[in-house]
Amino acid sequence: MDAFVNGFFAAFQAVIDAGAYVMLPIIITVLGLVFGLKFSKAFKAGITIDIGFAGINLVTQLMKDQLGPAAQAMVENFGVQLDVLDVGWSALASVAWASPIVPLIVLEVIAINIIMLAVRMTNTLDVDIWNYHSMLTCGGLVFFVTGNIVWALVASGLMAVITFKFADWSQPLVSKFFGIPNVSLPHVPSVSSLIIAAPMNWLLDHIPGVKDIDLNLSGVKKYLGFFGEPWMLGLILGCIIGALAKYDIAGIFTLGVYMSAVMVLLPRMTVLFVEGLMPVSSAASKFCKKRFKGREFSIGLDAAVVVGNDSVITLALLMVPITLLLAVILPGNHMLPFADLAVITFRVCMIVALCRGNMFRSLIIACVVMTAILYAGTVAAPYMTAFASSAGLDFDSLIASTCGPSLTMSAMLFWSCITNPVVFIPAIVVVFAAVYFFIEKKVGMNRIQAYAEGKTLEEYEAEQAEAAAEE
Amino acid sequence: MKRVLFACGNGIVTSTMVAHKVADYLEENGVEIKYDQCKVQEVAAIAGDYDLVVTSGQFNENEIKTPVIMAINLLTGIGEDETLEEILEACRE
Repeated sequence: MDAFVNGFFAAFQAVIDAGAYVMLPIIITVLGLVFGLKFSKAFKAGITIDIGFAGINLVTQLMKDQLGPAAQAMVENFGVQLDVLDVGWSALASVAWASPIVPLIVLEVIAINIIMLAVRMTNTLDVDIWNYHSMLTCGGLVFFVTGNIVWALVASGLMAVITFKFADWSQPLVSKFFGIPNVSLPHVPSVSSLIIAAPMNWLLDHIPGVKDIDLNLSGVKKYLGFFGEPWMLGLILGCIIGALAKYDIAGIFTLGVYMSAVMVLLPRMTVLFVEGLMPVSSAASKFCKKRFKGREFSIGLDAAVVVGNDSVITLALLMVPITLLLAVILPGNHMLPFADLAVITFRVCMIVALCRGNMFRSLIIACVVMTAILYAGTVAAPYMTAFASSAGLDFDSLIASTCGPSLTMSAMLFWSCITNPVVFIPAIVVVFAAVYFFIEKKVGMNRIQAYAEGKTLEEYEAEQAEAAAEE
Repeated sequence: MKRVLFACGNGIVTSTMVAHKVADYLEENGVEIKYDQCKVQEVAAIAGDYDLVVTSGQFNENEIKTPVIMAINLLTGIGEDETLEEILEACRE
């Protein structure tokens, strides 16, 4: 037995030492086989993902070579300490997928989802495997920093439970505000904002005068619409940074064009990663749906399905310059927002839904949420950089994104696990249990439904009773 | 050959899933398309170059003249066949 265990660990270690390019196809092939894919299909999926990873790596290298020195020069010229590069969520998500504990965490999250569905603790069926990258980043980082597989699985498991509940609780908003029924969003990069947004919205609701303020931002789309186009956003930011680095005109324009290329190429490379994962994801989806035939549930999707909302796009456009400004003026922030400025829609979509489209409130809350993200990203940067470098994504400077450990939910779990998990993890569990009790027993889903529809609880319940009577 | 634009939140994840399902289905039915993917925010600027826009979620279709089909059903799996047929009809020459 000992020999077997030792042999297993030796093999495990050998795979880890071989690096991400060897590990990724193995991880994906194993996962594919577990969900019943044929070997040839599973292997092809693994290699496709590897190709995507290689592509992401190439583009981030380009970003590092061009943007790194410019940011450095900017720091020297103006003393703005923005030396942590935002390389974008997809680069960091791909790193997480190359962590050795990926199969464990993926199976853990699916098992938790199935158990919670079976005991009716959740209504969300989450088989969008790509988006497990949030749990993978959190667990993978804890494993990387502490080497402790138990705390890594606790972190990712807790995150899964919290995410499914957040998805349940916010489902009425998705259904009513965005008009997409039977769908919930167990998508950490979006629902994580609710941790800050929900209490703030309650607070703003209880300040006399503030309660009724709204903003009309219909002009924003017309004047800031170009921020929504990645090539333009990259070009403008590249030129600004080049100018601040005191490059000559040719240098400024060159940096602009390179950054434009990064903004356009990075998503194209990530597409390959997603393509590779698709067969595994559909196999997992079939596997789970078979087990819950006849049971009504919300299907968990990526928030990509709601960010096309006009108010969300408007707020996200406005948040591009505001986030840059915040990065400059916030004392102690080191993160230079860049690649993820293209996906601010995801950070703000649940805020807009929660405020039922009130732009004044959404704007205030979004500023606080982005502030939290910038600080968490700054603090987690040394760990994230080392983690990325262990997977072959090497940088001379520190890196971050607005995703992964920068998200409030991940930040809390990650810091708890690497500092004093014995104290902090039970504390998080207790607080979450209290919130759970408060929302399900005190507030109640009916009140959330009523709020989402813009009615009072009495109106909503009367309507429900009427509908029931008619049947 | 019709040109189709698949759009989603980041032009990466759900648009890839939808595009593959649609392209596979159309191929089975003998219809070939040329397609690209993009973010929903870009649609208004480039939709003019396409015969059809397929979004994986919410989109304000009043902004463009190109016909739009919302294909969230291909992600949830509910009503998938109807949506695929609708897209097939739109893509026939």
